[in-house]
Amino acid sequence: MSIARFGGILSAVALAAACLPAAAQEAPVRIGYAIARTGPWAAGAQLTQEPNYIMWADQVNAAGGLNVKGRKRKVELVGFDDRSEAETVVRTYEKLMGSDKVDLILPPWGTGANFAVMPLIQKYGYPMIAPTATGRRLLGMKNPYFFAILQQPDRMMEALAEFLKARRVETAAVIHVDELFGLEQYTGLEAAFKEKGIRIIEKKTYPLGVKDLKPVLNDIKAKNPDAFIALSYPPDTFLVTAQAREIAFNPKAFYAAVGTAFPIYRDKLGPAVEGVMGLGTLNPKSSPAAKAYFDAHVAKHNKEPDRWASAHAWAALQVLEQAVAKVGLDRKALRDAIATGEFDTVIGKVRFKDGENVTTPGVVSQWQGREFEVVWPPDKATAPALFPKPAWR
Amino acid sequence: MGFWLELIASGLITGGIYALVAIGLNLQYGLMRIMNISHGEFLMLGAYLTWLAHTFAGVNPLAFLPVVALALFGAGLLVYRLCFRRIARTSPAVELIEARSLLVGFGLMYLVQNAAYLVWGADLRGYSFLAEPVEIMGARFTGNRLAAFGFAVAASLFLIAVLRWTLVGKAVRAMMQSPAGAQLVGIDTAVLHPVVFGAGLALAGVAGGLLSMVYEITPAMGEPYTVTALIVITLGGLGSAAGCLAGGLLLGVVEALGMHFTSPSLKMLLSYAVFIAVLLARPKGLFAR
Repeated sequence: MSIARFGGILSAVALAAACLPAAAQEAPVRIGYAIARTGPWAAGAQLTQEPNYIMWADQVNAAGGLNVKGRKRKVELVGFDDRSEAETVVRTYEKLMGSDKVDLILPPWGTGANFAVMPLIQKYGYPMIAPTATGRRLLGMKNPYFFAILQQPDRMMEALAEFLKARRVETAAVIHVDELFGLEQYTGLEAAFKEKGIRIIEKKTYPLGVKDLKPVLNDIKAKNPDAFIALSYPPDTFLVTAQAREIAFNPKAFYAAVGTAFPIYRDKLGPAVEGVMGLGTLNPKSSPAAKAYFDAHVAKHNKEPDRWASAHAWAALQVLEQAVAKVGLDRKALRDAIATGEFDTVIGKVRFKDGENVTTPGVVSQWQGREFEVVWPPDKATAPALFPKPAWR
Repeated sequence: MGFWLELIASGLITGGIYALVAIGLNLQYGLMRIMNISHGEFLMLGAYLTWLAHTFAGVNPLAFLPVVALALFGAGLLVYRLCFRRIARTSPAVELIEARSLLVGFGLMYLVQNAAYLVWGADLRGYSFLAEPVEIMGARFTGNRLAAFGFAVAASLFLIAVLRWTLVGKAVRAMMQSPAGAQLVGIDTAVLHPVVFGAGLALAGVAGGLLSMVYEITPAMGEPYTVTALIVITLGGLGSAAGCLAGGLLLGVVEALGMHFTSPSLKMLLSYAVFIAVLLARPKGLFAR
């Protein structure tokens, strides 16, 4: 053996030794999920939910990895398109948990999709913290692995009732979308308004995908209610706003549900949104943490998050991260840690009771200028409310 | 009286939007039996082109509509050459053209929709244009809906006139009734067929451009419009431009009245009840000969 050859072997050994720590580094934590990238759910899912997953994984990896009980491990997202189909959601989660055996899962988008995977997460024992699932019916299933971090309908509607009561609103007209979401919100609203003595003088339902609501709005305008409340989904939220303006129906309070918190709502309708109220949680003015979250989101995705459920999606990841740091990846222990712990998040302290986030209060937000200001409850408010609503612009 | 006027007018305007969505498909399916199930996707493309031009270049959406029409017409010629020419040539009967083009249409639907997802993402998009209310005889309407309605009526009248009174219209009708016979009397079907198909896509694109002023747009917006278009052209009678307009307007008015007297939730029930009733009384549609 020549000296040169020997030297070659030596350096090869040295090289291998140098590589050893890298080879011995632990495998990444695999986190699986299915979410809508195409189809009718995609607009919501790609605004509110998946951008947060991607940003979180990036931030965690940039900081050296996920803290698993003191040891840093990289995160690998295993995400699939569910094509806005409940059966694809179920099939994908079955595969992720049953055969791929990912370490953790993240929830799909929307009440229906979460409802569909609830039996599976219980079967395989994966905790799931859902930022876009609302409804007593989900919590009523008493699934120990399911956690709802978004405010539930009754909580949001109570806040609205308190806000209106404080401004001596006596009558309201309500329309709601004929879906589980609309029904749940309406049930909450009816109870809250009854308690506060606000009369509902008109109530109508409409189907998803409606292209015209003007006849209904004209009928309601003729009854002249103090408040108008549309428990609506995004396309109809835009529709009722544009059509109320079209017929100059300008009640003292104008409230629409999902979609008002979207930046595109302001960008499409422009100054017309001034004074419109809706479902929200926070805005960049709420806290330094909220500001940091908004800035990071814009830097990463070049678009603003919405002002309601996006922050809850981020908070859910923060809860998961803190729980994993404490108890590691043992999913039973993780579930118990989430169920019993208290967590610091972008939406404030979060604590769960029977699967429900019981610390985040119901919020009423209102567009003023270019910001969706929090106007209720008073201790969370970022601006005083515009009441009565100014005329349509 | 003013109330009724407003209710009916509101129904007519929404009906105009339904007719608008259907005109392009009526040319393709009604006149050529090409079941272009991706109709709504090309409408979506027209909407995105208009949105892009308005949002990033500040172009007036109405002024941009001819560009959309041309672009989609060109796309139509290309799509026809790539996908439908062979079907139209090799299918021995019109029923086979329908069946085969349906399959191709499904493929196109996925292709175009997913391409839009890749390019523009899944986000809701939209802009405000002609959203100011205009007062007409005490009733208030937004300019963009009136523009959509006006275009639907004008395009329908234009098509009725062309098909009935011009030589080209006659040739198109002849091509539908008997492709071989049309060739025998000297009609150049190799030119006319792709041109009519392209015109169908151009109309879909213009419809999309007009709708982008009224509603928000996403890559998934097309499918419901395809369904609406199919209902309208079946209701009106396949290939009849007058039927397409009448069918759309009828649906709009029935929905408006239904919303006032019952609840918007029953609107589907009412529309389909009208649909079934018309098909029972006139199985080939309102204006079929």
